Amino acid sequence: MTPILELRNITRIYGEGDNRVIAVDSVTLSLNRQEMLLIMGPSGSGKTTLLSMMGCILRPTDGEVIIDNKVVSDSDEDMLPDIRKQYFGFVFQSFNLFPSLTAVDNVELILRLKKHDRKKLQADALRLIERFGLAKRGDFYPSDMSGGEKQRVALARALAGDPPIILADEPTANLDSKTGLDVLRHLKGLAVEAQKAIVIVSHDPKAETMADRVVYLEDGKIKDK
Amino acid sequence: MYWLALKTLFHEKGRLIITLIGIVFSTVLSLTQIAMYLGMMGNATSILRHVDADIWVAAKNIQNFDFANPFPEERINRVNAIPDVVWSDKLILTWGFLKLANGGQEQVQIIGFNPDSGIDVPWNILAGNPEDLKSGRYMIIDKTAEQRVGRLELNTIWELNEKRFKLVGLSEGIKSFTTSPIVFMSYNQAQGFMTMTGRKSNHASFIVARLKDKGLSRDVAETLKVSLKDNDVFTKKDFIYKTVMYWTVQTGMGMGFFLTAILGLIVGGAIVGQTVYANTMEHLREFGTLKALGARNSDIYKVIFAQTGISAVAGYTIGSVLILLAKDGIEKAGVSLYLSAGLFLSLFFVILLTCLLSAYFSVRKVRTLDPATVFRM
Repeated sequence: MTPILELRNITRIYGEGDNRVIAVDSVTLSLNRQEMLLIMGPSGSGKTTLLSMMGCILRPTDGEVIIDNKVVSDSDEDMLPDIRKQYFGFVFQSFNLFPSLTAVDNVELILRLKKHDRKKLQADALRLIERFGLAKRGDFYPSDMSGGEKQRVALARALAGDPPIILADEPTANLDSKTGLDVLRHLKGLAVEAQKAIVIVSHDPKAETMADRVVYLEDGKIKDK
Repeated sequence: MYWLALKTLFHEKGRLIITLIGIVFSTVLSLTQIAMYLGMMGNATSILRHVDADIWVAAKNIQNFDFANPFPEERINRVNAIPDVVWSDKLILTWGFLKLANGGQEQVQIIGFNPDSGIDVPWNILAGNPEDLKSGRYMIIDKTAEQRVGRLELNTIWELNEKRFKLVGLSEGIKSFTTSPIVFMSYNQAQGFMTMTGRKSNHASFIVARLKDKGLSRDVAETLKVSLKDNDVFTKKDFIYKTVMYWTVQTGMGMGFFLTAILGLIVGGAIVGQTVYANTMEHLREFGTLKALGARNSDIYKVIFAQTGISAVAGYTIGSVLILLAKDGIEKAGVSLYLSAGLFLSLFFVILLTCLLSAYFSVRKVRTLDPATVFRM
């Protein structure tokens, strides 16, 4: 199977001279559809930097990022937003929902951003919300929702536009154990049923039991696969 | 993205109200200042603009229409000697004291003209006929003078510099810059008031002339300047300009209005800029998330500019409606407001531009927002 995402020897260096910090050091990784990859490691090990480079948010100082057999790490800066739009959905630790938009609107916003068929915007946003068990909470604003509900809205949003890769940064960090497990199950479901490639950065031991593969990062290097 | 702009704008009603207050304040202050200035300048030049004459001859060194000095009226012959002149006449502008029913006096501006000449003053006649002024001590007063002199009823007798005049007509809306009530009477009667100030009886304040071709105004004015060395000669446009510039520049009044209008724009712009910036800062995480999800800077600029633009349109509309509602009340208090479609449109673009410029700091913040930071927010 051809990997949907490949990292070849990617390195990210911050600063210069005495202030030079190697955040990610020659990491090579690949990710397949229907796979749930967990990246673990202590704080400051480079997990978030790695995730940012995977999601074409941050350029590697060296090495290649390949998506769907295309090298994207040397693409023009102008091209990166379109690549992100086409290939990625993101889930954040703090949910990052628009507080002035309802649950359905938060999903619809991303559909609009991805130039989704205008006639189907609301129906498709509602369908995504329903998929995560929030049919009755669609008109609620984030301030009126629990942490678990917000993260499920964020999952629905990440799926908007049907991107093949979902990147999740500490998706259970702000949730209680039961709700966190529920979110991880949803992510696993996306990998198995929706054939998505999932990358999770997490410290949560529950994630370890659900992931297909775990990568440990320490001082920017993969310690053990 | 306009969809997001609208949703966010109307969801955060408190912030929207503060933004609107800023724009309404800016609109009301700037619009009233400019409208008052234009109203005053309109009053200062109302007779100049209305008299259908292309050339105005005045005493040497005149500063503006209201500060007219007398000069010998026979100089009209030199004006008539110009072949391009089809009609000319003399005008008097002088001052008098109208005795009021309560025993007090009110200074009035007296305009003396020849009712047969077709000079077309006064205009906006509510009652009476300027022709009636020919018959003797008769006068027409502008209705707006009622605020100063009391009720004006036709055929009542009024004492003007101890001469008794019969009120035979009323005009409406003719005001002078000085705010003194304007009294129209025949040229001969008005000349009598000039002699009371020590002037000779054969003096005029202005000679006005109409030309065969308005396009010749400047050439004729230059010719007359040579033959009337003791007078100032203006085209109608130049005399209006001189009068406006006198009140605007030499009195400092224009600067006062200008500074207040600018202050209104600055305060309004600052309020809008501050609220838009605070809004942007509050949504920085969401904007960063949008960028991470593939939005371009331009997409987010659209949100900021659309919110600012919508606020500007709404605030300007509210401010303009308030001014229109208050216009009658303000004018009843004696203040002239000149409000035209052109003024509303011009100021709208100024307010819109001010608001959009005030969003600059928000746009700059978004431009430098690194989407990678959303993972750390």
